[in-house]
Amino acid sequence: MNDAKTPLPAEALSHLDALYNLARWLARDPTEAEDLVQETYLRAIRAAHQFQPGTNLRAWLFQILRNTFFTLYKRKGREPEVMDPEVLDRMSGVHGPTGVEHRLAGPPDGTAGLDLTAALKRLPEAYRSVVLLADVEDFSMGEIARIMDCPVGTVKSRLFRARAILKQLLRDYRR
Amino acid sequence: MVCAEAREHLADLNRGQLGADLTEAVRGHVAGCASCRADLETDADIRALVRAQVPRYMAPPALHARIEGLITQPAGRRRVAWWSWLRLHPWSVGAVAAAGVLLVVWAGWFSRAGDPVSRMTSRAVAEHAGYVKKVMNRPVPDPAPILRELRSQVDFPFEPVFQGDPQVQLITAMVGELSGKRTATFVYRDAGGRYTTLFLMPGTGIVVPEGDRMLIETFRPHYRTASGRSLLLWKHRDLAWLLVSDLDKTEVPAMYLKVRKAANPPSAFLPSGTS
Repeated sequence: MNDAKTPLPAEALSHLDALYNLARWLARDPTEAEDLVQETYLRAIRAAHQFQPGTNLRAWLFQILRNTFFTLYKRKGREPEVMDPEVLDRMSGVHGPTGVEHRLAGPPDGTAGLDLTAALKRLPEAYRSVVLLADVEDFSMGEIARIMDCPVGTVKSRLFRARAILKQLLRDYRR
Repeated sequence: MVCAEAREHLADLNRGQLGADLTEAVRGHVAGCASCRADLETDADIRALVRAQVPRYMAPPALHARIEGLITQPAGRRRVAWWSWLRLHPWSVGAVAAAGVLLVVWAGWFSRAGDPVSRMTSRAVAEHAGYVKKVMNRPVPDPAPILRELRSQVDFPFEPVFQGDPQVQLITAMVGELSGKRTATFVYRDAGGRYTTLFLMPGTGIVVPEGDRMLIETFRPHYRTASGRSLLLWKHRDLAWLLVSDLDKTEVPAMYLKVRKAANPPSAFLPSGTS
């Protein structure tokens, strides 16, 4: 069956804003994000016959978006940033002193939003995407593993490490 | 249970996605382990902060229309914008270079043949209609974080700008594009549910037509209508200001005055701009 015979479910349109949101975080440029989303839908339309009705359309579209992002970046000779694990450890303080620390809190005027945005932008893509997929899009660990094409354990460890890094970056906002 | 095992389940514990046995085991460990308890709190804190404070980017109306077209049109009739295709297939630049040259020649001819302000205002009306559809029934937000986010995305100073009042409220603000210029775009709604979109962009290269000026107090913005909407165009503070409104000719001056007066720099010693 080809794409002409298998239309993309109309429900796909309802995920546009969420896909665009992740695309903005990945591509960091509004125009590139629009291109990325458009290419994602084109690929989804072409592969609509591979989608099994009743399965998770939203996760499938996110998976295509992320794969498309990497394909396009490779084509353009650009690679998403990869951070040295040792640098990550230093950022997260996972090898530093542990124990009970102060909890995080943002000031009431919302300035933490800007700081948090800046902190998220400093995370490596794989970590940032896990945070956004888990916290903003509410995907389960299993769904994120499918979207990112990696084991569930990897997702959990990335999320754990991303939290630790963000906590370090946001330390100015501790009570 | 050891720390490494417990940590693997902390995120799921906070989301209530663990089975009863595992929940009990992890909770039991956390109760006696200060380090894991701190990690559990960090997970909850960061998740709450991200959900509350990270901005959500909304797809622009034009993209929405494009994707809707892709999904609903039959396969043979799907069309992708050529510039978009070119950006996604950079290795084909050589192949399309000749076509590009022709296109540039055509675009040059077209820009001379048409009225730039008409093209800009037509586009602005279409964008306005898209925004209205998008933000209809959206609750009134706190303008401060919206403007702060916009400030980080726009490379020209757009403030001071009208942030709403008890009669007319700012519903959203975002980056847009008009006539090839990046715009700071503001959507307002009045008590009657009528919308006004304000586009701000660098004024260089935009000529406000001398004709069809509307006298509003001491100001004289250019006025026209398109597709039943009122449009006002003027220049102030090195910016071009384009207001597209559902309000009619008798009502739009009041909206203009709110926007125009809010746009004055706070210092009385600064020279006032042209209108």
